[in-house]
Amino acid sequence: MSQKRPVPLERLDACRWRIPKSYQPGMRVDGLIYADDTLIADIQKDQAPAQVANVACLPGIVKHSLAMPDIHWGYGFCIGGVAATDPEEGGVISPGGVGYDINCGVRLIRTDLTRADIQPRIRELVDALFDTVPTGVGRGGQVKFGRADLRKLLAGGSRYVVNEGFGWHEDLAVTEAGGCLDRARPEYVSDRALERGADQCGTLGSGNHFLEVQVVEEVVDPAAAAAFGLAEGQITVMIHSGSRGLGYQVCEDALKDLRDVPKRYGIALPDRQLVCAPVHSNEGQRYLGAMQAAANFAWANRQIMTHLTRQVFARVFERPAEALGLHLVYDVAHNIAKLETYEVDGRRRTLCVHRKGATRAFPAGHPELPERYRPVGQPVLVPGDMGRSSWVLVGNPAALDETFGSCCHGAGRVMSRSAAIRAARGRSIHKELLARGVFARARERTGLDEEQPDAYKDVSLVAEAVHRAGLSRKVARLRPLGVIKG
Amino acid sequence: MGARMEPAYELFDHTADLGVRVTAATLPELVPPAVAGLYATLGHIVPQPAPAPADDFAFDATGDDPAVLLRDLLAELLHHFDTRRRVLMDIAVGEFSGVRLAVTGRLRPLDPEQSAPAREVKAVTYHALAVRPVAGGYEATFIVDI
Repeated sequence: MSQKRPVPLERLDACRWRIPKSYQPGMRVDGLIYADDTLIADIQKDQAPAQVANVACLPGIVKHSLAMPDIHWGYGFCIGGVAATDPEEGGVISPGGVGYDINCGVRLIRTDLTRADIQPRIRELVDALFDTVPTGVGRGGQVKFGRADLRKLLAGGSRYVVNEGFGWHEDLAVTEAGGCLDRARPEYVSDRALERGADQCGTLGSGNHFLEVQVVEEVVDPAAAAAFGLAEGQITVMIHSGSRGLGYQVCEDALKDLRDVPKRYGIALPDRQLVCAPVHSNEGQRYLGAMQAAANFAWANRQIMTHLTRQVFARVFERPAEALGLHLVYDVAHNIAKLETYEVDGRRRTLCVHRKGATRAFPAGHPELPERYRPVGQPVLVPGDMGRSSWVLVGNPAALDETFGSCCHGAGRVMSRSAAIRAARGRSIHKELLARGVFARARERTGLDEEQPDAYKDVSLVAEAVHRAGLSRKVARLRPLGVIKG
Repeated sequence: MGARMEPAYELFDHTADLGVRVTAATLPELVPPAVAGLYATLGHIVPQPAPAPADDFAFDATGDDPAVLLRDLLAELLHHFDTRRRVLMDIAVGEFSGVRLAVTGRLRPLDPEQSAPAREVKAVTYHALAVRPVAGGYEATFIVDI
């Protein structure tokens, strides 16, 4: 990659920065980064702004190449990037705009338990979760699917596994897209991908994936919190995982298959990692179908872990999960491309919205929201690090107007993995977390060291930036009490 | 004349992931340390010694970019590791030119007693992917997504 001149960032207001399309030949639209003064300083330290400019070169891109306050350098697209393309105007779909972990996402489960119920038994609970929910490198799931059933799962997502007994039917209404994208084409998922994901549905994985027992520590918007069934002192469970090896392989296959496609369609790209195909082309449709099947796998994955979590709570507290009130609040994808309809320049257009490290954030009244959330808006789940907090936000109309209904997805790393391991030398991250009131279990010591709180930005800064920008507003802050990791 | 460049690899930082930098005197000599570097990103990886059962491995691909050829080999090995816990040993490089990479070897099972896998690598990415001549030989870089 050639060294480019610094990316000009023109301040539009306290939380918006523009990259003019004059910055780089080939930019079809401006770049737009959402960040306050504190976060923009970090953002300028890596090449994420240049990637925002590169994405602005994609054919058919509409309005802006967008980036959320938690952006950092990614592959092709930055993490935290949003781009919508119009298929009717040659718009493309790019695997780099989704990422390897297709439909990596977050779900939040509430309970009727309080901190007082949990605190004396947190170790027992976390140990039981750790023993029941498979975590870590190479861990297969408790639930095995044969090849034929796996294809049904790829077509049906959460709906398929709920029908198989892994969860409650009410879960589907509070899962983005009902936990199933109907353009999924399991026949486009390679045997290699099926092999890689064969025993991984219902497993957490490693890296930054986690399952946390949390307490609602602060309610900022009581009306929205009440609509989501959240109140101060209440215990929640957050699960962060994705499509595991199956999704990684779908992306790997697509990046290989699409290598020569831009040249075939006369698409000039500033970075080969932005390989893409027109949405309406055969190549584009193949990726879209396989990617959406992988997205369904991810929803099924989180759904099965929800089922296992309910089993653990029922066992530890000796009451059925229904009696403990373990209801799903919401499940959102943050690595995905979907066809969604927006009004742009006075007309309704169906766009291919890429969200890579960005969360859908629909406002009140949106028809895709479940009836119970339609008066307030969609819960936006923003996980933080395992020592500080995570946030529940709610979508605002500005998100629909400006960012194709998108918002931030997390804290964003500030420390490399090696630096985090070096910083952990001579310390016990486990003990430090205990001192903060967090009991953590991980398969490998490196899991805690690499994912220590200092390795991340404070997610509260990110939540504050999108709140001030008006994309979403703060509803509740959750603090971890127990965590399991790979 | 300086000392011949010995094949070697080193890991380097990347915000959320890990990079591998490989150096060697010739293109074919880049391959074994690149493979070792890939396994190093996964943790402490040790194959079972002979006479543990082993499968023959052969990779032969053509293209116009040696960096992409090397990446494709590493992606293939990642797949074998991820799905069957197999580790490539006895690497023989038949050809590594600008247009072809041909490698054979033996895939041995991971030794679970001696190994400590620490990370799940999603993919060998195209990000900062390069094979380039440097003084005394060649350098390859690749970044794995974790």
